[in-house]
Amino acid sequence: MANIVTSFCCVVLAAVVVVYAQRRSQQGARIQYEKIGSDVTMQCGSLDNDASVTWKVNGTDVKARRREEGPRLILMEVNMSSNGLYSCFQNPDGQRRDQINLRVGLPPKEPQVTCRSNTYPKGFYCSWHLQHPTYIPTDFEVDVQHNQRPLEVTRDEVHKNRCHVKFPELFTSFPYRVNVTAVNSLGRASSAISFEESSIGTVELSDSTSHTITDAYAGKEYIIQLAAKDMEIGTWSDWSVAVHATPWMEEPKPITSTTESDIIPGMHELPTVRTLLSYSL
Amino acid sequence: NHIQNKSFCVHNVCVCTVYLSYLGPPFSDPGFSPPRPNSSSLSVPSAATRVDLWRGLENGARLAQNQRAYSVLLCAVRELARSTLCPYLQSSLMHFCSGLSGLLGSISGLMNALGYTSLPPSTPAQGYAPLLSSQFQNMEGFWVLRELQSWLWRSAKDFTRLKKRLQRLATTVHGLN
Repeated sequence: MANIVTSFCCVVLAAVVVVYAQRRSQQGARIQYEKIGSDVTMQCGSLDNDASVTWKVNGTDVKARRREEGPRLILMEVNMSSNGLYSCFQNPDGQRRDQINLRVGLPPKEPQVTCRSNTYPKGFYCSWHLQHPTYIPTDFEVDVQHNQRPLEVTRDEVHKNRCHVKFPELFTSFPYRVNVTAVNSLGRASSAISFEESSIGTVELSDSTSHTITDAYAGKEYIIQLAAKDMEIGTWSDWSVAVHATPWMEEPKPITSTTESDIIPGMHELPTVRTLLSYSL
Repeated sequence: NHIQNKSFCVHNVCVCTVYLSYLGPPFSDPGFSPPRPNSSSLSVPSAATRVDLWRGLENGARLAQNQRAYSVLLCAVRELARSTLCPYLQSSLMHFCSGLSGLLGSISGLMNALGYTSLPPSTPAQGYAPLLSSQFQNMEGFWVLRELQSWLWRSAKDFTRLKKRLQRLATTVHGLN
């Protein structure tokens, strides 16, 4: 009995060792994020200062402006072309000692934040974006305050740069304060906006949500977008996603597949119709 | 439709801006958002309400809450008008009061028409006592207008909801005939 248990344990242990060894050999490259325009130092593993190494980038020789000091490679004023997988090989045996995935980018600048409510009176959502790209992975932290209390923030599952907040109460006399911080390996930047419940563009949907445009020209293609406003009070919502449509000239034949409207060569630019429809709520 | 509160938004903006600049800093500072004094020192009812409670308000209760709020607010704004020394501000506030009085009349009229009991019109709003120190007066005035803004925003939503419900009721009744 004891023999079986011991054998079993040995087998499990061996499997663990094998898997660990495999992972170690695959796991060569670590990522190093550096700022565009800076001088970058890459260290080859944990070699001594007097070690001699050869560097390669993506398998080829390093051609950029650089300095080599023992186990270190120093690239001068890096730019996007410096990106790559850098490998160092110890001299003279040529064994690869380290791999570094260099990714060059920028620290984030203040994000632009806007908030709106399309589920009034349940809650509102906020979205943000960076005006300038960072070229490296950047995350966002959001916090929302109301009457000096933090509110629960739910990140959108689909839209990475959107979050949802439930109204703790309606018709309060305190503003909401939304703070968004952009963070990456090179830095962080935040911006905040403050607003009253009455000013973030709220729309309560009513029953009648269709409208017939009666003055469109047959045969002309239109781009249609929709915005809405609560009739009594509030501000206009954002424009909706655009829809292409062409009023037909003859009875439509059965359609077997939906196709985007083709732009026929020689036709003029598509006229854009932005219809402001105010629903009677 | 007795309710004519759209014009208050315009007046509301004018009066608030004028009053805040009259109070001066810190009240006139754009980001100024002090904590609300507790209910014992500020008798103007807060418009704030939980989402589920507000949605579930029955027509009579909805109207009654508005009626109570505006009768207290009317007294409060009258008191503000009485205690200001600036003639322009005083006339703006008094003009605003006549609008509030009209709104209150409409609400009471609507309540009577629908068969709900309303406050007797001549009752002075209970619990609104004149103010003492001038420092306290400024804070009180600031909060009266804050709550007034919240109530005007809320009432627009309240009356929209009421309209929808009454319209639904009317079409049901019409369908029965």
